[in-house]
Amino acid sequence: MIRLYHVTKRYGDIAALRDISVRVAKGEFCYITGPSGAGKSTLLKMLYGAEHPTEGKLLLGGVDVSKLPRRGLPALRRNMGIIFQDFKLIDSRTVAENVGLALEVIGTPRATIDRRVQAVLGIVGLRGRGGEYPPTLSGGEQQRVAVARAIVNDPSILLADEPTGNLDGGMAIEVMEILQSINLRGTTVLVATHDAGLMERFPYRSLRFEHGRLVQS
Amino acid sequence: MHSLQHILRRAARSLWEHLYLNAMAALVIAAALLLLGVYLTVQFNLNAIVDTWDRDIHVSAYFHEDVSQDRRFVLRDQVAARPEVAQVRYVSPADAREWLLARVDDIGPVLDELGPDALPASLEISLVPTQATPDAIAAFAASLAGPDFDDIDYGREWIERFNAFLSLLQLLGAVLGALIGIAALFLVANTVYLIVYNRKDELEIQKLVGATPTFITAPFLLEGAAQGLLGSILALVGLWGVHRLLVVRLQDALQLGLAGELAFLPWSYLVGLFLLGVGLGVAASFLSVRRFLASAP
Repeated sequence: MIRLYHVTKRYGDIAALRDISVRVAKGEFCYITGPSGAGKSTLLKMLYGAEHPTEGKLLLGGVDVSKLPRRGLPALRRNMGIIFQDFKLIDSRTVAENVGLALEVIGTPRATIDRRVQAVLGIVGLRGRGGEYPPTLSGGEQQRVAVARAIVNDPSILLADEPTGNLDGGMAIEVMEILQSINLRGTTVLVATHDAGLMERFPYRSLRFEHGRLVQS
Repeated sequence: MHSLQHILRRAARSLWEHLYLNAMAALVIAAALLLLGVYLTVQFNLNAIVDTWDRDIHVSAYFHEDVSQDRRFVLRDQVAARPEVAQVRYVSPADAREWLLARVDDIGPVLDELGPDALPASLEISLVPTQATPDAIAAFAASLAGPDFDDIDYGREWIERFNAFLSLLQLLGAVLGALIGIAALFLVANTVYLIVYNRKDELEIQKLVGATPTFITAPFLLEGAAQGLLGSILALVGLWGVHRLLVVRLQDALQLGLAGELAFLPWSYLVGLFLLGVGLGVAASFLSVRRFLASAP
């Protein structure tokens, strides 16, 4: 599903990632872990096309993302769901509108959008809350809305950058359980985190980075 | 394929949510078009005046003193038959003397001293409007040159200077118009960019979930068209108001003696201004969104 061949990423003289070669299989649940500045977010950014490797090759579902032109990004991102630490919800749009955005951008008919949104809100435990606005929700609820948006178009891969970073213990576990259930349906899940307790409670393969190098796979 | 309904709905929502900024953009377009419209009104009327003067430009061909009366009439008829000639009038020495006496004070004794045939007979020739250009007039005058005429006069120097002045005015106007247009485009683009910037979080999220540039841009183009539409309407109404003010105030104050009052712009100009306003709004929106899309992926 995901293959990196000797990927290096430099910002000027600073190497954020150094000579990374790793493979993540389809349907796998994998942590990207390490201290702050280890290169976790940089790796995720390269996976969703926000950054290009300075050297090396990055394949996602057989597509060489490292050479993908800007016009190819929309197609890449429609096949993946992305979750951020700060949720990245549109405060002026309702929960349903936020979740439905991922379907709206691909021209899905309104009736289908409404049906799918209700279904995924049920999966994340927010059934009937579609008319509310993000600022009225708790942190955990907002992150669940972000998860719902990330999975509403059945992506083959889900990227989560510190999804529990702004959540307390109980909410963090709720979100991880949802990600786990998504993975059980066949979606490849990559979670960038430095929460050791969470990784212990939900044990999966871990890719550990330190100073931009992959030290454990 | 994104439905028009989706795009219209998003554009309408954005127009409403950012009413103040959209109104500002419309006002900038209105101001630019109003400036341009005032300039065009002045130039349109100036051209109309010049057309009148052009029609009045004529050639004076002064007969040699040895040319007989019959020969003069023959030449008159020959000139009158030429297609570029609108009118020919024979001016005898006596007619010329009367004309001069009526316009120049105290010239009578001088003319008496010189004798009754002091002033030469001449042909006063008016050309058709299409021939009232410096080159055409010069060519016509050159064609008349010969032993029958002592001098062919058509105010050459004045015509050339006046046309040079008009050309300069038109060039200045074109440059001014272009500068106003460019300034307006950047002003509106920066105003629209504020709207785009205000929504940058939303637009970044759209990009992250796979929105194409078309999906992101289309509603902004519609918003730009709406800004242009409103701006154009405001400008045309303002232009009408300014025109009425100028007609009432200027004509009395300056005693211009114009043939008729200051004309308002014809429909073709007004439609052009209207379309320019809409185009300005769309172009400004396009530039602003493109600037945003070229930033962080």
